Amino acid sequence: MTSFPLRSAAPPLLALVLGLGIPFAALAQAGPAASAAAAAPDGPASAPISLSARKVYEQARSQLLQIRTVLKGRASQTSVGSGFLVSREGHIVTNFHVVAEAALKPERHDLVYVTADGREAPLQILQLDVLHDLALLKAADPAKPTDGVDDGSGKRVFDALAFRPDAQPLAQGERIYSLGNPLDVGFAVTEGTYNGLVTRSFYPQIFFGGALSAGMSGGPALDEQGRVVGINVARRVDGEQVSFLVPASFAVALLARGRDAAPIRTAAYGIVTDQLMLHQATLTERFIKQGWKTDTHPRYTVPVPIDQFMRCWGSSEPSRTGGLDLERSDCVMDTRIFVGDYTTGAIGVRHESYDGTKLGTLRFAARYAASFRNENFTRLRSEHQTKPQCHEDYVDRNGLPLRAVVCLRAYKKLPGLYDLSVLVATLDQKQAGVQGRFDAQGLSFPNAQKLAKHYLEAYGWVIH
Amino acid sequence: MGHPLAVLDVLDRDGQPRQSIAVAAWPLHVGRALDNDAVLADPHVAPHHLSIAPGEAGLALTVGETRNGVLLGRQRLHSGDSAALADDGEPIELTVGRTPLRLRLPGHTVAAELALAPVGSLARRAAPLAIAALLLIGGALFGTYLDTDPEGFTRAAGNALLGGIVGAAVWCTVWALLSKTFTRQAHFGWHLRVFLLASIALLAVTTLPALLAFTLSWPWLTDFDFVGSIAVIAAALYFHLLAVEPARHRLLKWVAATCAIVGVLLTLWFNVQRSDQFGDELYMSHLFPPALRLARPVSTDAFIDGLATLQATLDKKAREPARGEDAPRGDDE
Repeated sequence: MTSFPLRSAAPPLLALVLGLGIPFAALAQAGPAASAAAAAPDGPASAPISLSARKVYEQARSQLLQIRTVLKGRASQTSVGSGFLVSREGHIVTNFHVVAEAALKPERHDLVYVTADGREAPLQILQLDVLHDLALLKAADPAKPTDGVDDGSGKRVFDALAFRPDAQPLAQGERIYSLGNPLDVGFAVTEGTYNGLVTRSFYPQIFFGGALSAGMSGGPALDEQGRVVGINVARRVDGEQVSFLVPASFAVALLARGRDAAPIRTAAYGIVTDQLMLHQATLTERFIKQGWKTDTHPRYTVPVPIDQFMRCWGSSEPSRTGGLDLERSDCVMDTRIFVGDYTTGAIGVRHESYDGTKLGTLRFAARYAASFRNENFTRLRSEHQTKPQCHEDYVDRNGLPLRAVVCLRAYKKLPGLYDLSVLVATLDQKQAGVQGRFDAQGLSFPNAQKLAKHYLEAYGWVIH
Repeated sequence: MGHPLAVLDVLDRDGQPRQSIAVAAWPLHVGRALDNDAVLADPHVAPHHLSIAPGEAGLALTVGETRNGVLLGRQRLHSGDSAALADDGEPIELTVGRTPLRLRLPGHTVAAELALAPVGSLARRAAPLAIAALLLIGGALFGTYLDTDPEGFTRAAGNALLGGIVGAAVWCTVWALLSKTFTRQAHFGWHLRVFLLASIALLAVTTLPALLAFTLSWPWLTDFDFVGSIAVIAAALYFHLLAVEPARHRLLKWVAATCAIVGVLLTLWFNVQRSDQFGDELYMSHLFPPALRLARPVSTDAFIDGLATLQATLDKKAREPARGEDAPRGDDE
């Protein structure tokens, strides 16, 4: 099929970690100076800070931290984000993507935190929640009295931020305050509104109507009482003040789960794989359960998913030179799971419906074949993923002949996980046809087979 | 003066006679020194390179004091050797230094006279060539027809035709110039014929496997159809070169075969580098009108069961370290 730019098909989501080598494309190209300049017009600097913002910041100032990933043995930082203290013992919550380099390549990176008054200390990772992009950290050397207050018994006690209870949900339009250290410029508070949960997101995310910048990742978003409602995680670069927070309840759960965990010292691929296994199981189940739309083509049943956690875009393109007319549908998930150098865990479904009556049989066949050929099955660099291995044949769908190609790629550092691509072309008409493609990332092998079957079985004749 | 006892033709490297020396008396001395009967200018020839004289059983050749020896037919003779010259009614071919010689005796057959103009009428000779040309033009136009929308066809066909004709003319002219340089004859017709036939063959070896692969669901056929293309190109190279170095047809055969083998091996190697498998294509992507399909479709379950074999391969490859850095064309990086 021909590739085409779809509005919002792949949302230009920007994770809010600041660094030179960060894999999110938009960030990597924005050097610190450039991003600072770009952030200025829509930044909150010009907006008047309310009295509440000042109060909230003053209260939270001592619990607010900058999380730095530094190269081992060199003083330079590779990326910076934000974080905050959540327990009196010194547990810290931030985003997984803020600590990803340290978690996945611990032999080359160290983590340190810097407080608002400039004190610095090393950090350890206790637990990860890759699916919701959270990490639980703790100061590496609790005996070292660089931070916290001695409670008299020789044990340090930290000032922690409290979570807003789930029982008191926010109303849309309520004022919330996001804190962090944008672009490594300095600690800041930005004001915005709570806009409920993001629609059609696979995992719940809060839609924050406020400006977030790189470097604020992992910082807390607080209500007017200074309680944590969410954790800064991303923003849309194609919009204004469309930002996202991880709901606080996931951080509460992570703290409960990892409070007493032993620090993770080796590369955390095992934990990442385990969590992705859970994700793909849920994803497969929910995807199959939601079913397919009806009336997607006058002649065939063509699989188009019901968009519970996906977004489908369509377009129609009649040929201007008396050639092939086509209609397209492209369904994508906004939710992707960040795994260090790449993302995974998403599903995409698309198809193109061709009408070649103006071309004639032979010309249509040539054009239809060219479209079938114009597909790419390589996604990640060979250090992350194998080359695709494919299986192909003619498949019969109750009398409708299809040419079907299934290609799979295995992840090199996430054993047992595979990317699936299914390419289908209907082969019953001389001058018309439908070509569809299904892509799912990070699946177990049985679930890859299950989804391939689910997708292929959705093809057939329309029964009148 | 009667007829000469023999004639020694001194040939050029393309086989054309440069000089003819009549032998009035045996022995015949050949060398660079002035006291020879046949004085050669070739610096790779010794002052007294060889002599030919009647022996007990006909003529015998004796090699003089030379570093390079004498090549008699395919037999290499060294300084001091002597050999009887076979008398089978054919002229005797020998090479001294870099100069080929041909000794003709009265009993030897004389090659037939070459016609100045080619045999047969022009129409008769040009007919096969014209048919091949029309076939190729038809094929090229049909390809253009398939690839363009109805509204753009005339212009695209004009472009394809013009481009094809100019390309063919340039190709054949370059070969003709090479022929002219080495053989003093352009052989343009020969090169044109090689070009036309090779192009038609190339069209056939790329189209037929695709059609068969679709009809019978044999993906391997188009996976390895580059072998056919390479074979055709190597054969074309051989026939083009044949009109440049006609005397070395045996060597040229080896050159063409070696080129073909090296070409196939290189393609296989590149394929492995690119896609981790020997074949050209990741999957069979040649679709023809549905009526041409003969292979029976399988059930969804049977198809999905067929995936199972991929797992072991993928798991094995996942454990291998990454080979080289290749830029992905993916959507996520």
